[in-house]
Amino acid sequence: MDKPNAPLVRSHCVGTTAVVYASDYLNKLTGEKIERECRRQLDCGCRALVIDFSDTKLVNSIGISILLGIIDVAEKSGARIVFSEVNNQTVQLFEMLGLTRHVALAKDEHEALLTLSGFQTTPIVH
Amino acid sequence: MNRGSSSENFRRVLGRVAPPDFVGRTEELAAVMAHAAPENAGRGLLLLMEPSAGVSELLRQAYDRIFNQRTEVIPIYFAFTRNETTAVSAAIEFLNTFLQQYIAFRRNEPFVSNATLTLHDLLELAPPADHEWVEQLVQSYARLRFSNDDKALVRFCLGAPQRIPVRSGRPLIMLDGAQLAEYLNGAVVLGTEVLRVFGRGGFTFVLAGLRRQILEAAHEAECNFELLDLLRLKRLDAKEASLLVEHVAQRQHVVTSEAARDLLVQQFAGSPFFINIFLQAAREKRVALTSYLDCERLYVDELFGGHLHRHFAYLLEEISPRLETRHLLIRLLWEAAAGEDQVSSFEVWRKRLHLTAGELQDVLHRLHVQEFVNWDGTTVEAGTGPQAWKDYLKIRYRLDVHGEPRALVVADALADALKRAPHTMARHYKQIARVSLRDLVSRFNTQRVPQVLFDYATFARKYKGLEPDRLASDLDAETEQFKLPQTVHLASCVAFNSDMRQISEDERCLVAHTFEDGVYSDAQEVVWLVADLESKLEVDIEVARAWIERFESLAGRLGFSRFQIWLISNEGFTEDAGRLLSRRKALSSSRRQLELLAARISETPVNSVVHSGEEANEFLVVVPMGEDNELIAASTAEQIAKRLTFRPEAINQIKTAIVEACINASEHSFSPDRKIYQRFRLESDRLVVTISSRGVVPTNLNGASGHSDTTEAAEERRGWGLKLIRTLMDEVEFERVDDGTSLRMTKYVRDTAS
Repeated sequence: MDKPNAPLVRSHCVGTTAVVYASDYLNKLTGEKIERECRRQLDCGCRALVIDFSDTKLVNSIGISILLGIIDVAEKSGARIVFSEVNNQTVQLFEMLGLTRHVALAKDEHEALLTLSGFQTTPIVH
Repeated sequence: MNRGSSSENFRRVLGRVAPPDFVGRTEELAAVMAHAAPENAGRGLLLLMEPSAGVSELLRQAYDRIFNQRTEVIPIYFAFTRNETTAVSAAIEFLNTFLQQYIAFRRNEPFVSNATLTLHDLLELAPPADHEWVEQLVQSYARLRFSNDDKALVRFCLGAPQRIPVRSGRPLIMLDGAQLAEYLNGAVVLGTEVLRVFGRGGFTFVLAGLRRQILEAAHEAECNFELLDLLRLKRLDAKEASLLVEHVAQRQHVVTSEAARDLLVQQFAGSPFFINIFLQAAREKRVALTSYLDCERLYVDELFGGHLHRHFAYLLEEISPRLETRHLLIRLLWEAAAGEDQVSSFEVWRKRLHLTAGELQDVLHRLHVQEFVNWDGTTVEAGTGPQAWKDYLKIRYRLDVHGEPRALVVADALADALKRAPHTMARHYKQIARVSLRDLVSRFNTQRVPQVLFDYATFARKYKGLEPDRLASDLDAETEQFKLPQTVHLASCVAFNSDMRQISEDERCLVAHTFEDGVYSDAQEVVWLVADLESKLEVDIEVARAWIERFESLAGRLGFSRFQIWLISNEGFTEDAGRLLSRRKALSSSRRQLELLAARISETPVNSVVHSGEEANEFLVVVPMGEDNELIAASTAEQIAKRLTFRPEAINQIKTAIVEACINASEHSFSPDRKIYQRFRLESDRLVVTISSRGVVPTNLNGASGHSDTTEAAEERRGWGLKLIRTLMDEVEFERVDDGTSLRMTKYVRDTAS
């Protein structure tokens, strides 16, 4: 799990798309780190965001509410956003709280990037 | 049966029975023995006794055990008796007893305790190490004895144990029959002096007396209550009392049958005192007790001229020494007990007894202490006391007041006792077989139960005739649930209105003060009026209506603004009655429903915060709030859940729910200790997780589903947390506890297909 003084979340850019990696537990602290990194990437000119949940085993409601905030920020910036490699349990939670109405889900990072690059117009939803 | 003293070297000193024959007071004996421990040095133990509960042998047994232990604790036992008529003579007797028992202990010679010895004899018997202080004590006593200062002499005698040199040991003073000390003649009130000397003098002591009197005396003597412990002595339960009858009968060589034994237990309501004197009488009169007739013949003999007669006659004489007043008192007591109006005013009593206010206060105080009446300073309620007392009163009334022929009164008394015996036993057998309504209602604590258990008509329609297994499973599937209130006070209806005694047995008509959801506010306060109706058939509309009106009237008189009527009948209610009950919003249950309810309540955990994970399948974890500690709880739950066959997805759901519950507790409880208490209980088909925290309860944190419409992020998140928990777990329930909240979540194991 992240410690308070740990470095910001891992991320990299593919063209104008930023891929941000969520940690194993998405809570207030780690959610805010993701939010901060996403804002930073958008400020740097990224036009799309992929948040990768391949390491994420557990999320809580505060973490999810922060994700909603990130979606909102992305929309306001005119950026597209895709969540990738979300496990079934977390997908259920996202559905319960209405997150999936606002964001596309991709099987993995590659699929997310394809979705965003326009090769595939309809994202694959788990 | 009390063990631990059956060593071959054990010597009986004061005990009248061998330790193995001392039955029924195991816990109380352990408490007295524990009081002798060093950590209780300087403390007093008040044994608050129900009249006729019996305490003397308990103290004598404790004495013998301490004597045989040969530690630094020196046991001293003194019983106030009716032989001593003044405080001075009782105090002198105490001094003599004290010295005698002290020297017996120091010399390790039990027979000295029981020998007839003067102070000078004792001085000669004192061991050399004690000779000097004992001699000084005897000389001081001789000087004070003729000083005409009674109070100083009484205090000197009672304070004598303080003179024991520390090197010789420390005394444990056990005083028996303290109630007698109040009635000794003379200028000094011995009871108060006893408590003044022992309650303030740094003594380790045990003082046994009547419960209504001894606490009052301790207050009057201005005892330091921080140094006093209390132990309440009640009558024995049926099982212990049966054992006592068997042991005493064997010791007294009285032949008894099981039926007679059980009758004695019920007739004397488990009183060791009555059981002992009755079997003693059987031995003295050489009668066997093998039938109800044997028992009742002896009982009537006893009431007319035996131990029972003497016991009650002594008490009456003490209560009212003047013969004239005593006759008036017998008349008043019996007429009040036998009549419908058992409660009357102090003024009525004063006029009937021709006493001054002060004299009547004295009489009523003594009657109240013996629990023959309930006197609250204004009104007097008669009709209380044991059955033997009521029978004695009736006999005396007929003989002394009406002057009826003795033979007629004897014959009637015997006939009455014989006719009553089968009813007494029938009542007992019914009580054994019956779910205890009092016990059941007292356990109401916000549990959820199927609503149909309180609706006889629906229950009969859906469940009558079903096999028990099917019934249980169908009830499990009931979606309409009824949340029981929390019972905070429960009493018989008779305690609120003595007229109810004419209509129903004490234990079958109850008034329960409750709070819905366990929330202590006016809006949540509901008084339950409960009656268990005696009927072999379905109760008809007339009976149901009468009970509803009776309860409504009672509620009106007592000012119960919100009340809930609940009627129970063995076979339920007729259709007409059911419709009436439904219209009047009364609950109704049959015996079967009551049993199902009792089974469900006993299954339901209550006071979850109090239980401390003692059971093998319970785990209690306490974590500090914050620092992602909710993950510790989630991981613990995962490990525990794996012991059942939960699917991995279900385990994740449990973990997420626990995380949310912990976040809620951390964010919203304003907890003083910043801790989260988690209890995990595994049952065969479910995992029950309780997350509790101390602190202020948020006003909107309740059992309602959904979330707030507020736009504030925190409020929204709170709503999300609760929504998630409710979605992920099968049952979710908030319980408000005195100092915080408790969230109980249940997840059932389901097979993969479902």
